[in-house]
Amino acid sequence: MLKGTLFGGTVAIGLPMLDAMLPVSGAAQTGTAPKRIVFWFTANGTRQDIWSPPANMDLNGHPLHAAMAPFSNKLIFLDGVDQSVTYDSIGDGHQTGMACMLTNAEILPGSLFCEGNCDAGNEQYVGWGGGQSVDQYIADEIAKDAVTKFKSLELGVQVKSSSIWSRMVYSAPDQPVPPREDPNQNFQDFFSDIDSDPFALRLIQRRRKSVLDAVMEEHAAFQSRLGYDDKQKLDKHLQSIRDLETRLAVTTNFGEACSSPELSLPGGTFQQNDMYPVTGKAQMDMLVMALACDLTRVASLQWSRSVSGVRFNWVPQTLDEGHHGLSHYDDSNANAKADLREINKWYSDQFAYLLGLMDGVQEGENTLLDNTVVVWVNELGKGNNHTRRDMPFILAGGCQGYFKTGQHIDFGGEPHGKLLVSLTHAMNKPVSTFGVPQYSQGPLSGLAL
Amino acid sequence: MLAQGIKFCLPLAATLLVGCTGSIGGDGASAIDDSIAKSLCVVDTPIRRLTRFEYNRTVRDLLGDSSNPADLLPPEEEVAGFNNQAAALTSSDLLIEQYMKVAEDVSTRAVGNIEALLPNCDPELDGNESCASSFIQDFGKRAFRRPLLQSETERFKAVFDWALADADLGRFEDGIQLVIETMLQSPSFLYRPELGDQTPIEGDIVPFTSWEMATKLSYMLWNTMPDDALFAAAAADELRTKEQIAAQARRMLQDDKARDLVRNFHTQWLQLTHLDSLTKDSGVYPNYDNSIRGLWKEEIQTFVEQVILEGDGSLRTLLTADYSFMNEELASFYGDDVLDSVSGPELRQVQLQPERRAGFLTSAGLMASHANVNQSSPVFRGKFVREQLMCNTLPLPPNDLVIEPPELDPTKTTKEQFEEIGANPACAGCHTLMNPIGFIFEHYDGIGQWRDQQNGKPIDATGQVVQTDDIDGDYDGAPELARALADSTQVQECVSSQWFRFAYNRSVTSEDSCSIEQLNDVFRASDFNIKSLLVALTQTNAFLYRRAVELEPDAAGGAQ
Repeated sequence: MLKGTLFGGTVAIGLPMLDAMLPVSGAAQTGTAPKRIVFWFTANGTRQDIWSPPANMDLNGHPLHAAMAPFSNKLIFLDGVDQSVTYDSIGDGHQTGMACMLTNAEILPGSLFCEGNCDAGNEQYVGWGGGQSVDQYIADEIAKDAVTKFKSLELGVQVKSSSIWSRMVYSAPDQPVPPREDPNQNFQDFFSDIDSDPFALRLIQRRRKSVLDAVMEEHAAFQSRLGYDDKQKLDKHLQSIRDLETRLAVTTNFGEACSSPELSLPGGTFQQNDMYPVTGKAQMDMLVMALACDLTRVASLQWSRSVSGVRFNWVPQTLDEGHHGLSHYDDSNANAKADLREINKWYSDQFAYLLGLMDGVQEGENTLLDNTVVVWVNELGKGNNHTRRDMPFILAGGCQGYFKTGQHIDFGGEPHGKLLVSLTHAMNKPVSTFGVPQYSQGPLSGLAL
Repeated sequence: MLAQGIKFCLPLAATLLVGCTGSIGGDGASAIDDSIAKSLCVVDTPIRRLTRFEYNRTVRDLLGDSSNPADLLPPEEEVAGFNNQAAALTSSDLLIEQYMKVAEDVSTRAVGNIEALLPNCDPELDGNESCASSFIQDFGKRAFRRPLLQSETERFKAVFDWALADADLGRFEDGIQLVIETMLQSPSFLYRPELGDQTPIEGDIVPFTSWEMATKLSYMLWNTMPDDALFAAAAADELRTKEQIAAQARRMLQDDKARDLVRNFHTQWLQLTHLDSLTKDSGVYPNYDNSIRGLWKEEIQTFVEQVILEGDGSLRTLLTADYSFMNEELASFYGDDVLDSVSGPELRQVQLQPERRAGFLTSAGLMASHANVNQSSPVFRGKFVREQLMCNTLPLPPNDLVIEPPELDPTKTTKEQFEEIGANPACAGCHTLMNPIGFIFEHYDGIGQWRDQQNGKPIDATGQVVQTDDIDGDYDGAPELARALADSTQVQECVSSQWFRFAYNRSVTSEDSCSIEQLNDVFRASDFNIKSLLVALTQTNAFLYRRAVELEPDAAGGAQ
């Protein structure tokens, strides 16, 4: 049963056995669960001074990560990994931290976004990120031999605006991918198929195919009249329609593991500051459900944008300020430090909640968490100096035995591009470098079993 | 042609304060020149898709659907404060998927009232075929904002036929619904192609067809599709001459739909969306309640709408008016500043104490949204004036600088505290540009209420304005500054360039210099009337012409 509480009322959605309508072989059901990868973003750096785990990896009593204690043998803490490429790139700290994070590519020149750093003579404006992000690369590769309902799923929690500061996923250079921010809409988009009887579902698929075929013909005719530049712009649109049509033809095989915790949906208030926890929980619940149901194998959950101004009214706070403001106080300000500890602890609590859900989904002998690698990223190391060195990266889940979990490694200044390379290896889509080669010479050593 | 140092390539057409060491001089406009060669200052705008705001209004006018269905779409890419900039609007898988969902929802609602869609045809009497064909022609023309091509008519008829032949559909309404669904996902609906006429008038310069011109005008001045009068003018090919186009523009600015334009522009230019998520420290401001935010916004929106569309339309009035629009609750919030007594929930015009309030600048909403949660912010207010009204570009603080607003000190005024910060040499370079302007607004506290003293000390609302083109000097209080801003060429030209970017959906380029001069001349000659500026925006070469479409990339790199 999928259950959701929508606008105060509970919607219960039966999970039918859908054997009659399953053209795709569901890996989850056949015994060999697929590998998955999930990126988890939080903003404005962390408390680097208290972030690391103790040597024995016992997280009980840890100022930030205590809630993750039950999973400590499934975690890897990475110390000493730098976003080196950001120091070559144009753009301010938050911009580069965000746009280079999953691309390991320098930001494109352009005239779109004002750069924060303004030394005399510097270029003031920058464009979008300059490379495909690693999640999209992996998703493209996976799509070559397995069609899932979504090639990848990008979920966001109150990211709101669209700019260089708020986009971390890129389908290609200059092509930012927006996250899905409305849990109510997501519930419909991900799981409404389940509600339909097979007959109605086939009709919907047939109708949509008919409409999209005609739309694509319209596009072809339209584009033939356009100039070169405009045509380039429309090509992406047309490709998206083609992909959509392919995806719509997929009917998902809901395996044994495909069941769901109850959902609490925030209705129309999902963008309100104080609904941040509720919106986030709904997104996490649906993310895990989507993975368990094999709707996708590549996902991300982006908590707010970089330079996040979320006000954490639900955790103990001394200073009445948003997250970004707090992150800018001097290290000597005990109140700000305490507030930042509470904020980052809250995020660790959420991370632990996600890991708990994933570890509760049994897939043969493993759990969903064991078959996945969850990668916690951040655009900064620390807020007040905008450092992109010693990034607070955490890996969770072994990705089916690829990673040697339960350890804490200090890499002593290795570039983060090597971590991205490691992730492609973990997902069986190995590359030798990713993004700027200089900062991604092979995988990080010591991560893999 | 350009004054030295003006960086017209910047999105803001901004006077860039390099390293905050000095301002760069303004542009001296020459006499208005209406005989500019048509080949000059023609700058093509990339094809652009409808914004959510435009999509919502378009389906309202196309189908009577006022449910704002495009709110489901991902937000637009925002560039330098505006969300309608063609170069920045990208496409994504999510957007395309949501276009489909939105089209399904809208078309489902539309065929719920099939009679309204087909006022002149009854499928029972006239037959499915005939009604479908006339619907495709008539509705298609409005949806695509031009007559359909024969190939398009056939394509949509095939969609209709498919639905009627499907065993599970088969009803006339099903066919019509699928046609609407398809049209709403077609590029001719979602995008605004401006390809131009076939025949050049000079070199490779082409004018737009009357259909394209109708669409250009309606999206620029109404943010929605053309009305019947514009369509009729297009059908008669009467949107060719500058006079025809100007006459339509003047008519359109009399229409209620122009309110959408004025509100949309000012929401973005004055950063009114800040108000949606504003919070204040209730300990410091017991008078503040989140419910007032909506009223603050409505006050500013009503004020700019009334001044521009029904008042004298002057930038000077926008900046210096001693009146505003309030209901009882709002008037009571403003207290003694309001000279009239107001009752009831409706906003109406009220007289304000002219020594306390001046135009939108001193409105509570603007003052509160440019303030901290527990105190005013001379920095935010100075920055607003610099960036939005004077088109300066101020850098963010350097990467390694730790920034924090001062903690409340009950022994000092806000000004005294910020003066200490501004004196820090690391900050002074930039903050001398912002803080003293902000000090001039110190009579307004963090929620925009008037105060004569703070922490037992009298308010000092004096400040020195430096590094401007034409208003350097000492000022005491916002009304005095507002009058100076209204008379400042720098401000006037900044406002005209903001409208340029918003109306043309693109930044100002170096090739736009003659258009900019034309606009500034007209603006000045009309005593800075915004409506005149809007009409003038329909008269530039940049608006009237384009270079002929090149189907292949230009090897010489000439056109783009």
